[in-house]
Amino acid sequence: MTGHHPLGEEIQDFADGRLTPARREDLKAHFATCPQCGRELERLRWVKEGTAHLPMHEPPPDLPARVAQALDSEDRRGSHASPLRRYLLPAAGVLAAAAAIVLLVSRGPRDLPSAVGRDFAAFGRAALSLDTASDDGPALERYFARRGLTFRTRVFDLGMMGYGLVGARVHRLAGRSSALFVYRSRDDRTLVCQMFEGTLDELPRGGETRVHDGIEFRVFSEDGVTLVFWTEGSVVCVLVSDGPREDVVQLAYAKAVKV
Amino acid sequence: MTALDPERKRALFEATALPLTTALYNTALRLTGASADASDLVQETFLRAYRTFENFSLGTNCKAWLLTILYSVHINQRKRAQHAAISLPPEELETLLDEDVAGDDQRLPALDERWGPEVDRALRDLAEPLRAAILLVDIEQLPYEEAAVALGWPVGTLRSRLFRARKRLFASLEGYARATGYLRKPVRPE
Repeated sequence: MTGHHPLGEEIQDFADGRLTPARREDLKAHFATCPQCGRELERLRWVKEGTAHLPMHEPPPDLPARVAQALDSEDRRGSHASPLRRYLLPAAGVLAAAAAIVLLVSRGPRDLPSAVGRDFAAFGRAALSLDTASDDGPALERYFARRGLTFRTRVFDLGMMGYGLVGARVHRLAGRSSALFVYRSRDDRTLVCQMFEGTLDELPRGGETRVHDGIEFRVFSEDGVTLVFWTEGSVVCVLVSDGPREDVVQLAYAKAVKV
Repeated sequence: MTALDPERKRALFEATALPLTTALYNTALRLTGASADASDLVQETFLRAYRTFENFSLGTNCKAWLLTILYSVHINQRKRAQHAAISLPPEELETLLDEDVAGDDQRLPALDERWGPEVDRALRDLAEPLRAAILLVDIEQLPYEEAAVALGWPVGTLRSRLFRARKRLFASLEGYARATGYLRKPVRPE
């Protein structure tokens, strides 16, 4: 046997590669002649091997949406912080803080039509994928609920209008969770719908305001894409398509429900 | 990290922290023992991390940083809930330390993935500080120094608890190996 028995924790240091090269050589020589310490090393390695094979459990499917909603709430809370607090940002200084406030006011929720339009374009160039493919509206509504969306979603049946459901994703739109679902027409035109908590007051000025069956609609056009917003209770719905403007508006008229 | 534009902050956080959800959830599950509690713990961890994201240095170990928050939240929740002491009394830990498992010359069986449930059960039986040491060092592969910071212990304490934890795990798994016939020779004192 070479030298004294090392302490158990030093054998552990050997197993974990935490010894100096010189001490490591000492222990190596000792293990070669001491079965007792060799067994201790083998046991420690055996346990490390066992923990390396532990199964990984998948998080519950609704956890990502729950986290996203918690972060959304935090974002909203942050955006309501007192202006004074922003002026106190140490590095920015008063002018920079004021500029930041102006920036925040001019962006965020005010960008909703642009953000929705960008999502439509992203889906069109396959840069935005769907979480699930299905033509079953009620199944998609259940899917949204399972994924943790706390507001009620209503996936429209547009079959009579020649549109079939393609699938859906739990999406993030301008700092909030959104139910996004996609239709495709027989002539391969895409229609994207999003639903999220909010109000029409968050939309920018401009656009066209229409009222149909007592429901207010806000219609925007951007880059050849028509966006029609309306609300159902606390949920904002928006239909987006690059089809003829009036066709998109009529689809919204047909499916909107006064709540 | 300096103050970030809110959208940039959110995008960075989503790219840096959220991909670690599965690792955090598994650690939380093995700390709390219940899926619902683990989900709550992970959600609260991410929320606190997001609030203090400016304190995180990009390029450093995000997992270690998140596990530090997770363990701190877990300990505080346990304290608030006034559960039984989360740490064993020192004398009980010493008893564990002094326990030795008699071994023999028989070759130990390979601990492959089939042993996963048994290893999980043995982990659950460990006192929480010992379990936490295994979770961070052996499963999440944090260096001692980062694990010690995450758990709020000196490195020496981590090293000592890790050793005790591995000894206890060995005893438990060896007992299982004998009971299931992987090891056949009777135990004899060394």
